[in-house]
Amino acid sequence: MRARKFTPVLASLAALATVMSLTACGSGSSSSSGAQGDADNAEITFWGWDSGGSMSKLIAAFEKANPGITVKFSSTGNAENTQTALANAVAAGKGAPDVVMLEDATVMQFAVTGDLVDLKQYGAADEADKFVSGPWNMLQYNGDPYGMPIDSGPEVLFYNKAVFDKAGVNADDIKTWDDYYEAAKKIRATGSYITNNSGSSMDYQPFTAQAAQAGAKPWTVDGDNITIDMNDEGMQKYTAFWQKLIDEDLVDTSIANWSDDWNRALNDGTIASLTIGAWMPVNLMSGAPDQSGNWRVMQLPQWTEGEDYTAEDGGSSLAISSQSTNQAAAYKFIEYMTLGDGAVTMSETGTFPALKSILNSDSFVDPDSDANKTTNEYFGGQNVNKILAEAAQRPVNTFQYLPYNSFAQTEYGDDISPAYTGKETLADAFKTYGEKLAEHGTQEGYTVTNKD
Amino acid sequence: MSTATLQETAAPAVHSRRDARRKEKELERRRLRDEKAERRRARQAGFANVANPRRSKMLTIVCAIFAIYCLFPFLYLLINATKTQADFTSTFGLGFGKTFALWDNIKTVFTYQDGIFSRWFLNTILYVVVGAGGATLLAVMGGYALAKFRFPGRKAVFVVIIGAISVPGIALAVPQFLLFAQIGLTNSPWAMIIPSLVSPFGLYLMWIFSEQAVPTELLEAARVDGASEMRTFFTVSLPLLAPGIVTTALFTIVATWNNYFLPLIMIRDSSWYPLTIGLNQWKDQASNAGGQAIQNLVITGSLITIIPLVIAFLLLQKYWQSGLAAGAVKE
Amino acid sequence: MQAQGEPRVNRRRRDWRGWKFMWPFAAVFLFVTVIPIFYAIYISFFQNRMIGGTVFVGFANYVRLFKDPLFWSAVGRVALFTVVQVPIMLFLAALMALALDSMKLYGTKFFRISSFMPYAVPAVVSTMIWAFMYSAKYGLVGSLNDWFGTHLNVLSPSVLLAAIGNINTWEFTGYNMLIFYSSLSTIPHSLYEAAAIDGASEWQIVRRIKLPELKGSLAITVIFSIIGSFQLFNEPSIMQNMVPGNAISSSYTPNMYAYTLSFSGGQTNYAAALAIVMAIITMAIAYLVQLKSMKEQMN
Repeated sequence: MRARKFTPVLASLAALATVMSLTACGSGSSSSSGAQGDADNAEITFWGWDSGGSMSKLIAAFEKANPGITVKFSSTGNAENTQTALANAVAAGKGAPDVVMLEDATVMQFAVTGDLVDLKQYGAADEADKFVSGPWNMLQYNGDPYGMPIDSGPEVLFYNKAVFDKAGVNADDIKTWDDYYEAAKKIRATGSYITNNSGSSMDYQPFTAQAAQAGAKPWTVDGDNITIDMNDEGMQKYTAFWQKLIDEDLVDTSIANWSDDWNRALNDGTIASLTIGAWMPVNLMSGAPDQSGNWRVMQLPQWTEGEDYTAEDGGSSLAISSQSTNQAAAYKFIEYMTLGDGAVTMSETGTFPALKSILNSDSFVDPDSDANKTTNEYFGGQNVNKILAEAAQRPVNTFQYLPYNSFAQTEYGDDISPAYTGKETLADAFKTYGEKLAEHGTQEGYTVTNKD
Repeated sequence: MSTATLQETAAPAVHSRRDARRKEKELERRRLRDEKAERRRARQAGFANVANPRRSKMLTIVCAIFAIYCLFPFLYLLINATKTQADFTSTFGLGFGKTFALWDNIKTVFTYQDGIFSRWFLNTILYVVVGAGGATLLAVMGGYALAKFRFPGRKAVFVVIIGAISVPGIALAVPQFLLFAQIGLTNSPWAMIIPSLVSPFGLYLMWIFSEQAVPTELLEAARVDGASEMRTFFTVSLPLLAPGIVTTALFTIVATWNNYFLPLIMIRDSSWYPLTIGLNQWKDQASNAGGQAIQNLVITGSLITIIPLVIAFLLLQKYWQSGLAAGAVKE
Repeated sequence: MQAQGEPRVNRRRRDWRGWKFMWPFAAVFLFVTVIPIFYAIYISFFQNRMIGGTVFVGFANYVRLFKDPLFWSAVGRVALFTVVQVPIMLFLAALMALALDSMKLYGTKFFRISSFMPYAVPAVVSTMIWAFMYSAKYGLVGSLNDWFGTHLNVLSPSVLLAAIGNINTWEFTGYNMLIFYSSLSTIPHSLYEAAAIDGASEWQIVRRIKLPELKGSLAITVIFSIIGSFQLFNEPSIMQNMVPGNAISSSYTPNMYAYTLSFSGGQTNYAAALAIVMAIITMAIAYLVQLKSMKEQMN
């Protein structure tokens, strides 16, 4: 009886051992022998999201121009899912695509562990000047490019002119954040809010953008060392300002970006403005159709009068995973999508371009092109792209993202939102946030110094 | 009624017409009296009288309240499926939009993104037919084994199963994924189907049902007659287990149809998505920078997704009826 | 105590016939559930670092877990949730099943379908609908506030758990009701007739015949409901973005915490340790609650 009983157990343990030995060799970059593959004949897999709905068109055009290459596109939904899928494939040691679309902030995460290919070997570094500096800088790791920007997200101020007029606010007078504060008071008096911010993880990217604009460096990464400083000059400026807005009930702290309530509030004028990336028009038009004709766009308020900085709020790129054995062909595809005709097509279907040539082209700012006409109509006849193109080329403070950016984003929501509901001060919330980030870094093997 | 007439036929012959009529009236009165007594008895033991249970208005009203609670959100779904995207964001949730766009929405749902919705629909049907069908078979056989046989390891099986399902599925997801990735099964329909074959709940259900519905004596009789275990199972036990099988099938169908987390982990390629993940992807489009909100399609799509399940339930109801009758007749 | 000459009642005869029917389920179960569990246990003793790769850390993950306040508050939360929501839901389900089985309803079929319908709706959709209705600004609650001048907010942190509980109850009462009903429907009606003839009142029939029958299915529904509510994930996860003030943190329930750890924090090993500990806690509670009736089942 004893022997018989253990047989099934042994069998499963044997199977387990097999599995374990297979999966024990988890991550790690594959050496590039044969990894380049044939640049002209290959079948490459591509993971990404298709917000413009133009992916099949883009791929068809690329395949026509490159008859030896077929692109197999898998729509992975959104940025978060794509990044998760890549992480899973990396952990499994197989199954990663050749080309992957990633949010700029997460490229570093995968570059650090060697799961993305250094694109310098394919000539990417020479293309630096063709892109606006904001997104380009975010894709560098150890001085080399690990991704090519598909789009950019310079922050601008979108505002509802109708609500502003009702409150007696002249948008042209808002040059600094102090002016913004004054406007907020006037708008609140009419019942609306100048904007919303609930400190949720969806408000993380605007935070990084605006803190960067203030010159803050909440964290710096230097190889295996990370320094956390939630109290530097830029952070203090940012924290003090937002604390003022919270204390005086000038922002709606009950609505998170991208929620259903958010769309409705934009649609009925409860939220009067947004400081958000230049890709917002499409979302605004479909999410707040009742406000057509009322919205306008202008440059971001500055921390110091006379400056003209902007900041990057979001942005995505294309990268090559190190598991790929078709890297040369993959790079060809990336070139097409980011530097070639693909980039032009994408800019016509809602993507905000990162290529200087497109931003400066006549067709991009031509108010009579079909795409622009619809947008400009929503914005009351304003030549929206002209202003956005200007914003994209403004100077940007370089901002580094943490190698564990996704953690930083989730943790932001957990730690910072209590400050927005009045449970503690923003400064204290950021202190906790810093501590959590430091702890996580240590767990991940980094040497962390927390200056708080 | 029968008693009265029986007695009457045995009575002595009638003498005159008046007598006849009087007797008739008495007959009538007795019949009415018996019927009244019958009804009174039935009232006292309402459901015990299978032929004529007395229905309660009060109970119906109370249950109706519960039914409203259950159906209320469907009303929301129906109403909002008639709205365009613009109306969805601007009008009151339970009120109608400015235009009636139901047919437009349905058309768009099936044509959006090159008709990928139909592909998702077919995928889901595949997973359900093979996955849930397989799960029911496995659960029926397993439950039968646990109930009717005292085999070595029986207790261990039970303990292991209860133990294993206590482990949060979320944490199992990554190891499961790694396992399937090693074998190269991820991103294929098998990644959805194989895990769906395991329904511990179905197993437990069939176990209880087998115990209640299949008398061991019947099995013994068949064995004595020389039938193999398999034959006995198919010819004797299965028919008795019918209502349980229907219930298990229903549960596994719904579970597989609505499974969200498993395909989220296992399936990368949107052409293999089931409806749940596909709809979720559409829903997330609204939160993508530069993405177009299509919540009206999500709602309409959700409505379409629910319909097959409702149909399945309605169809299976027939077997439900006969199962009940079988249960009532059996003694 | 058995006399010497009597045969032992449970003399083992090693009857393997049962395995003929058990093996398909067992095989798939082993592959799909058991092996991944062993793997999860295995990786819970390691840590995969960005700098340094995979390192053996022994029980460090478990020690960290026991000291983790986020974990324990999540456990407390689902425990509270279970203790309140499960009895309410099963009580409703049992009542509904009894009502249906009594055959005293007009339109029994209608009530049967309508109470089961919520179960047919995927969690994403149900949560979306209810979250909308709960919205204090734009939802039904908001409209109620407008009409009656109240300031209800069912999504405030103090009642949020109850709001989620309501969604769960809505989704699963019909499911449990069907199990109870299925069990009740196996009672032969001749039993009722016999009892009626013996003079039993309706109440007594319910108490003496139906309720004991329900006990069997009560065991199964209680266990699975407890396990299910301890694993609460879908509804709070989907509602995260819809709830003001970020009241649903990324570690609101243990499963959500495990999810965040695995997929945003890159800490699969810690998540595995969390899962194992949660499994032990859940199993302990399930066994405690059903110890007696499960013992009966086994014999």
